[in-house]
Amino acid sequence: MVVKSAAVGTIENPVPHETLVSVEGLTVRRDTHVVVQDVSFTLEPGTDTAIVGPNGAGKSTLIQALLGILPRQAGDVFLLGQPLSPRGRLPIKVRQDIAYLPQNFLLDRRIPISASELVGLGWDRLRPQLPWTGRRARDRAIQQALSQVEAWHLRDRPVSRLSGGETKRVLLAYCLVRPRRLLILDEAPTGLDARSESDFYRWLYTLKQEQGWAILQISHDLEMVRRSCDRVLCLNRTLLCQGIPDHALTPENLARAYGSEFVRYHHSCSVRSIDPLC
Amino acid sequence: MLTLQAEFTRVLELFQLPFMQRALMGGVLTGLMGGLLGSFVILRQLSFFSDALGHSALLGISLGFLLGFDPTWGLLPFAVLFALCVTYFLEHTHLWTDALLNVIYSSSLAIGVILLSFREGYRGGITNLLFGDILAVQGTDLVFSALLLLTCVAFIGLTLRSQILLTLNEPMAIARGVSASVQRTTFIVLLSLVVGISIKAIGVLLISAFVVIPACAARLLSRRFTHYIGLSAGLGAFSAVVGMLVSALFDLPSGPSIVTVQLAFFLGAILMTKIRAY
Repeated sequence: MVVKSAAVGTIENPVPHETLVSVEGLTVRRDTHVVVQDVSFTLEPGTDTAIVGPNGAGKSTLIQALLGILPRQAGDVFLLGQPLSPRGRLPIKVRQDIAYLPQNFLLDRRIPISASELVGLGWDRLRPQLPWTGRRARDRAIQQALSQVEAWHLRDRPVSRLSGGETKRVLLAYCLVRPRRLLILDEAPTGLDARSESDFYRWLYTLKQEQGWAILQISHDLEMVRRSCDRVLCLNRTLLCQGIPDHALTPENLARAYGSEFVRYHHSCSVRSIDPLC
Repeated sequence: MLTLQAEFTRVLELFQLPFMQRALMGGVLTGLMGGLLGSFVILRQLSFFSDALGHSALLGISLGFLLGFDPTWGLLPFAVLFALCVTYFLEHTHLWTDALLNVIYSSSLAIGVILLSFREGYRGGITNLLFGDILAVQGTDLVFSALLLLTCVAFIGLTLRSQILLTLNEPMAIARGVSASVQRTTFIVLLSLVVGISIKAIGVLLISAFVVIPACAARLLSRRFTHYIGLSAGLGAFSAVVGMLVSALFDLPSGPSIVTVQLAFFLGAILMTKIRAY
């Protein structure tokens, strides 16, 4: 756990480059409603940090605000040492080093896109350029990324015809196709069954080791967070706790985030793990 | 056999006439532009938008007559302004897109017809506005259409990957540094110019068919995004050529003939997908 005040920078004095993400006093409103209030935290290279909290706690809003997708009303955000401008702008090089996978990535399954085309979008710099610029390097990178997640055979298949597990593997290839330093995942295993979810995390953590990624992920699976994550941020509009999961996810903190009923239920399920209702 | 040969000779002679050649060129240019932009229009669920733009054109032309400027050229700035206002309303109201667009296009049509009624002797001309007259296309119209097609190709070509990612998932595109509002506004301005310039040839009622039908047919036949865009533009142009031939052969109105051919291609695409499925 990093002492947050030591890592927070200003526009004039950027944060030390070792800190991948630094958020200080972030507040986000939607209409007149404050969704995220005065949140501060930092993220170090190679670490895996989970954001937990009930539905409507502002987890997705927090992530979207720190990427500049949603506007923020107050606070400073530094990504890979660079400040996020008030209008959400960041140098393109910094954007290239970050991969973001939203909760519902394919909003419309009627969009005709093949797996290799999707992975290729992860390679592109997305600035004005001729469509065939760097074609050979692009094709090579797509092949390597898809092969690495054992999905090369899916290259020509429309994304709409992939199973849940295959889609997630292709999305991991989208992250892999270019070297990244940070992955931001919004409930990545949504829609997967238990087996596919376990496979997804196996792929994710193997690749994390190989690539040296840092991960910031929203999760509802507290057991997975305890088992796999280095740090946890407990959010319910404000940041209620942060630290190593075993220290931060105490019954008191969980009660503050989710309510006391949830803690009693969660505790009984942990004790009687064979209970089919748990 | 002799009759068929005579008919063929008649059509060939007809296409030797300059006004028929201009009409054919106009149809092909409109088909290409409509198909190209239409491929993104239908996936972004903006089909009603092109319809609303077409109907609003009547209001623009009526205003042009009343204020005393050339209705064809006066229409273009009006169409752009109108499109930007509609985009603003869509983004800043909580109404359903189709409902809001319906309000806009039906009221534009109503006000446009009332304004036209003030102009003595123009009531007969309303048929031309509603259905267009591709045979009346002039050389300057063709030059402007060609320039607009080049602009559309350059815009889509240079920002192809950004456009695809924006269509697929807007937050993912913004996280990669794509300026969604700039891209969206540029696209809408180009679409409104295409609709505005094509009104004279195709008419208020049928212009949206040029944007929507070839794209729908191409969608049914495509598994890859890049093929889909090319096929949509190609079908738009090919429908125009076949439609003009059908129109000349059977002495039918040109615009509706082209749209009927587009429909035939669309039905053919449905049939092909059914055959493929077996």
